[in-house]
Amino acid sequence: MTFALEAEGLAKTYGGRSAVQNLSFQVPQGSICGVLGPNGAGKSTTLRMLVGVLKPSAGRIALLGQPLTRRVLQRVGYLPEERGLYRNMTPRAAIAYLARLKGVHARSAFRRADALLESHGLGPVKRKKIKTLSKGMAQKVQVLAAIAHEPDLVIFDEPFSGLDPVNQRVLEDTIRAEAAAGRTILFSTHIMEHAERLCDRIVLIAQGKKAFEGPTRDALALAPSVALLETEGAFDLPVALAGKGFVVQSDGAEAGRRRWRVKLEGPEASRRLLAACVEAQAPLSLFEPARASLHEAFVALVGDRVAHGE
Amino acid sequence: MRQIYLVARREYLAYVRTWGFWISLFTAPVLLAALLFGPVLLARAEPSRVIVVLADRPEDAALVTTAFETEARTTSRAEIKTYLEAAAPNVAPTALAAFDAAPTRQAAGAAARALVARQAPGALRAFPALAPRYAIAPAPAPTIEALKPYLTGARKLADGRMLYGAVDIRRLDGAPRVDYWSINLSQREPADIAQRAMRTVMQREAVVALGLAQTEADRLEGLWPDVTQFDPRPSVGGQVTLRQRAPFFAAILLTFILWSIVFSVANMLLSGVLEEKSNKILDSLLTSVSPLQLLVGKLIGVAFVSATLLGLWAALGGALLNMAASHGGQGLLGQIAASFLDTRLLVAFAIGFCAGYLLYGATFLAIGSLCESLQEAQSLMGPVALVLAVPMMLLAPALDNPNAPMITAASWFPLFTPFLILIRAPSNLSWTEIAGMGAVMSVSLILVLVLTARVFHAGVVNQLSITSLFRKKAR
Repeated sequence: MTFALEAEGLAKTYGGRSAVQNLSFQVPQGSICGVLGPNGAGKSTTLRMLVGVLKPSAGRIALLGQPLTRRVLQRVGYLPEERGLYRNMTPRAAIAYLARLKGVHARSAFRRADALLESHGLGPVKRKKIKTLSKGMAQKVQVLAAIAHEPDLVIFDEPFSGLDPVNQRVLEDTIRAEAAAGRTILFSTHIMEHAERLCDRIVLIAQGKKAFEGPTRDALALAPSVALLETEGAFDLPVALAGKGFVVQSDGAEAGRRRWRVKLEGPEASRRLLAACVEAQAPLSLFEPARASLHEAFVALVGDRVAHGE
Repeated sequence: MRQIYLVARREYLAYVRTWGFWISLFTAPVLLAALLFGPVLLARAEPSRVIVVLADRPEDAALVTTAFETEARTTSRAEIKTYLEAAAPNVAPTALAAFDAAPTRQAAGAAARALVARQAPGALRAFPALAPRYAIAPAPAPTIEALKPYLTGARKLADGRMLYGAVDIRRLDGAPRVDYWSINLSQREPADIAQRAMRTVMQREAVVALGLAQTEADRLEGLWPDVTQFDPRPSVGGQVTLRQRAPFFAAILLTFILWSIVFSVANMLLSGVLEEKSNKILDSLLTSVSPLQLLVGKLIGVAFVSATLLGLWAALGGALLNMAASHGGQGLLGQIAASFLDTRLLVAFAIGFCAGYLLYGATFLAIGSLCESLQEAQSLMGPVALVLAVPMMLLAPALDNPNAPMITAASWFPLFTPFLILIRAPSNLSWTEIAGMGAVMSVSLILVLVLTARVFHAGVVNQLSITSLFRKKAR
């Protein structure tokens, strides 16, 4: 397997305070990889080190098989977390300018800017000043500026923040399209659902340290599964299942029904739970084994407090 | 290099495409001309200031009135002399002789003018108007008490003019005493003229008391040697006229131009880097360019903005001066035009402009990179503005004696060199000194750029700011 990005033993300290510690991970070429973690986990610091904006206090970075240099950075696209553009520039000029800084020739840069703006529905505003665009439009322009030079590796820092649900979907499609075009995508987010939908691999970071690295499905497998149950009337499920090895938690009540949440542990736990309910003659109106979420996997890995950035 | 070029190009176009650039391009020369010629034109446009003379003795009043007339005649003669020595040196002696031969000031002016009209008609266009600064009018009231409504502006004179001041000559135990009344407290020239006149009276009276003839006092008073100023430098080698003084005026003008460019550039650089900080575009840029490339690109871009302004102004000014030189020949404007083309001055300006721009420009960029808002930047600009004010404060003593030890020493201090090298250039500043100052500036620039690059890096990459520094210190 070839890697588009390799980080080894990365660390960053600010005046004695450690923001990132001994962080190592790899991103295979052509994959979509998510860097996940709560706010303040060290995601942006890590990404800023990967694109050469910040100098690591320790560690080694290789991009596209080469050590981190200005030259290799020309093949990398980057959307920073704190983003903005020159307000008096047009989207066309801004995209072309950033592409030219990445080594694209003027004519090609403007041609690509035009094509990207047209294909993303921004053709009508491409010659208007950025300060006249809506926030969502400006953010789209910025995303396009990060990919206008057709980079081999694209790094997005919290690309979904500030976007409405419709534009979040549009951005997800853009990321998928870029990956389909053979580019490697690395993005950070603290919203796990985006990573669940998009990523082949994830790197979980908490308090500046790596908590997990691997395929998304492996991370999900780490999360405890649960089943959601609903019983009619005042049936007491915890009492009925007592001594059968299940942890039952109340999940509320509504219109003469009680909802329960049962942890599923061990092989065929779901089938065993259903059998136990039948045996206890539970008046079930709902039995739904729930799919584990990345958030639950993250909580399982680092604990509830750390997972919520406390 | 490509990155620096692209940053500089964007910076340049960002300013050149604004309305403000074009407005300053066209308004600045107009404003400069207004600043230069405005006071002269205003002074010429001002009507003569009306003075009345009261005196216990009529002969004292007559003497003071004559003194004002003599003062006006002397001033007119000096104006004609200065003008003709620059505009038509060949006719100056004969015109002045004609002036001196005429009985009254008006007649003297007319005689000189008529001679110039005959012998050098080209020099007649800007011939001095010769309006007297003060005009003596008959007093509308016999006492100061009665004159007060006129002096305060409550009443006007019979001919509608305002009364500027009143000179009251009183005799206390026979000794003259001059009281000057006016609401214009900052100006006491009429009192000085009256004082000089009464001094002559006192001298006459003293001579008579010693038993000498009164005419002897007038003869003694009339003893006044002629003074001619010379410049010993071989390149000049002669009498000092406006032509020799013109380079000093040119140096002052260039110093002001440099100073105003440094100040306008400060705003451009500060607002430019603050825009990038507040628009959060720096992280996007920093994956493509290094902080040093960004710094240098910005400096070059804004330098070209200044150079464009300067170039267009120089082209405009050069065309006008060239026109003046070709039409005026040895005339006033022709001589001023020639003074700008002095090699020493041009080299000094080139060093001063490059060094001053880069030194202060880099400092402003560093300040901008440490600020989070325009308000913060402007408050930080205060101390820098004070430093920039120092060369302007040294301007007057530098013109008084450009080679004074303090001015010579200050001109080697890198913060002041760009300005003082210009002021000192016309006063025999050697090429060795110019080269030495250039070398000192080069070394200083390298140091400043290295330091600025570090500060800039900390400001734009690590988001270091004055506020965060103070917060850290407070903790």
